[in-house]
Amino acid sequence: MGSSLEQALNLILTADRELCSILSVTARMSLASSLLALALGVPVGIWLGAGRFRGRGALLVANRTLMGMPPVVCGLIFYLLFSGVGPLRHWKLLFTVRAMVLAQVALITPLVVGSMESFVDAIAPSVRETARGLGLGRLRTAALLGGECVYQIFSAYLLAFSRAIAEVGAVSMVGGAIAWKTNVMTTAIMQYTNRGSFSLGIALGMILMGASLVVNIAISVLQRRFGR
Amino acid sequence: MKKLSALLLALVMVLALTACGAKPAPTEAPTAAPTAAPTEAPTAAPTEAPTEAAAAVNTVILKEADDKMINTYTVIAVNPEAPFTDADGNAVSDVAVNTAGADALIQWLLSQEALDLADAYGVAEYGEHLFYVKDDAPVYAGEIAPATEETKVIRLSTTTSVNDSGLLGQLLPVFESAYGYTVEVQSAGTGKAIAAAKYGNADLILVHSKKQEEPFVAEGFARVVPGFDTERISFLYNYFVLCGPADDPAGAADCESVLDSFAAIADGKYTFISRGDGSGTHTKELSLWPEALGITAEAESFAGYTDWYISANTGMGACLVMAEEMDGYILTDKATFLTFSANGGVM
Repeated sequence: MGSSLEQALNLILTADRELCSILSVTARMSLASSLLALALGVPVGIWLGAGRFRGRGALLVANRTLMGMPPVVCGLIFYLLFSGVGPLRHWKLLFTVRAMVLAQVALITPLVVGSMESFVDAIAPSVRETARGLGLGRLRTAALLGGECVYQIFSAYLLAFSRAIAEVGAVSMVGGAIAWKTNVMTTAIMQYTNRGSFSLGIALGMILMGASLVVNIAISVLQRRFGR
Repeated sequence: MKKLSALLLALVMVLALTACGAKPAPTEAPTAAPTAAPTEAPTAAPTEAPTEAAAAVNTVILKEADDKMINTYTVIAVNPEAPFTDADGNAVSDVAVNTAGADALIQWLLSQEALDLADAYGVAEYGEHLFYVKDDAPVYAGEIAPATEETKVIRLSTTTSVNDSGLLGQLLPVFESAYGYTVEVQSAGTGKAIAAAKYGNADLILVHSKKQEEPFVAEGFARVVPGFDTERISFLYNYFVLCGPADDPAGAADCESVLDSFAAIADGKYTFISRGDGSGTHTKELSLWPEALGITAEAESFAGYTDWYISANTGMGACLVMAEEMDGYILTDKATFLTFSANGGVM
């Protein structure tokens, strides 16, 4: 561990070119996928949580199943879709950051939906009662509900981001871990481990944890300012 | 509240800047160092000290330069007209393959310039050749087309040994800067490299297992590059080496041939680390066991030998670390082993 820490610091301080490329791909990939998943997942989650309609139970079960989808299965599906012989081969997406983002969005969106749904489900009755008491219309009730959710949305985003930055199974399959192009922190750690250079793997792991910590702090601060 | 968030924002920016290349401001350095050092150092020092001191590698080369262990590297261009099929076995006709790019890279790899670079690779660092140029390798002296907008990205699927040993890192930048291509290297075992090509995800492959290459050619996935006679262009070789603990309890080093060494290891049930991942090294290893044992790539075939035969299913470097830890025997390409032992058992 001692030498790994040294290596990690060394990599950061010398601004190793490959490390910078890995960091920037990681940042682009995890920010894009977590934000997209948030944009898709939050409305669906609120709708599922607050709505009372036929088939809601089935949708909830479906979503909870998707929440447990193994990343490698997701990766395999996208690999086969975008593969040179796959049905979507003309999109030319295999081994690109975009493909990685798509696979990540498929993995993360159910988590965001699930996290929003269980929160909204708990507060919806009281919000509805308040709205009725104030004589608010449907639109303004929805706005009131949305306002109540801000804190939870930040939490859901943190969940999405952590999953995006930490995931390896799907991104290594669709991204191919190509140096300078689709190699992210987790796939680079895998590569180093396969080569037997464990200490460099640990060094990257430390940087990954550090980056994660920084983002968590930043989001938590924003959450406190705007969420309550 | 505002102060706190401003402080945190500043911290974030400093970290981001140091990570992305800007020189850290002199005022930040002293604050960063003391916080990191005391928390990590005490826990790390006691555990690592003894292993660091005894870094010398116990795994040594026991058997090498045997004709049975010659390791030939072959480059093959993928045929866009190949009988590609999708996951369900349905034929797929319009698979995009960058033939012009693959041609250029193969022609360059067989140019005198590249062959000389490959031959000299590692001599300065390890005092011996990591790769040799085959005597009968066809040398290409013709024109090489520079990249165009359509052909500039070349997808090379290759085995881990040429990538991990640093050979491609040495060769490809020369090619890329001379002709304007970008080579995207996917490195996995030979088995996976060939599978990637069959799924239409590679323009050419650089692999080292005749046994797996021949069916690939026979099925029509390969094509002849202009300027060459055959689909399979074998141009580099080195040797697989049998490595094991320095005290060699199986007596593998004293055996007449490498086949006897393998038989001795199996007889005495000495720990053997197998790649187990369908790579070229794995394929070679399978061909060296006594036939009576019946060891193949199928998990069933070695179910009875799990007390000594370890199917690791991972890369060469990780397997070497495993062999070192378990005092096991292992078959490895020489290039990876030399890198491994030069670094004292960590790669």
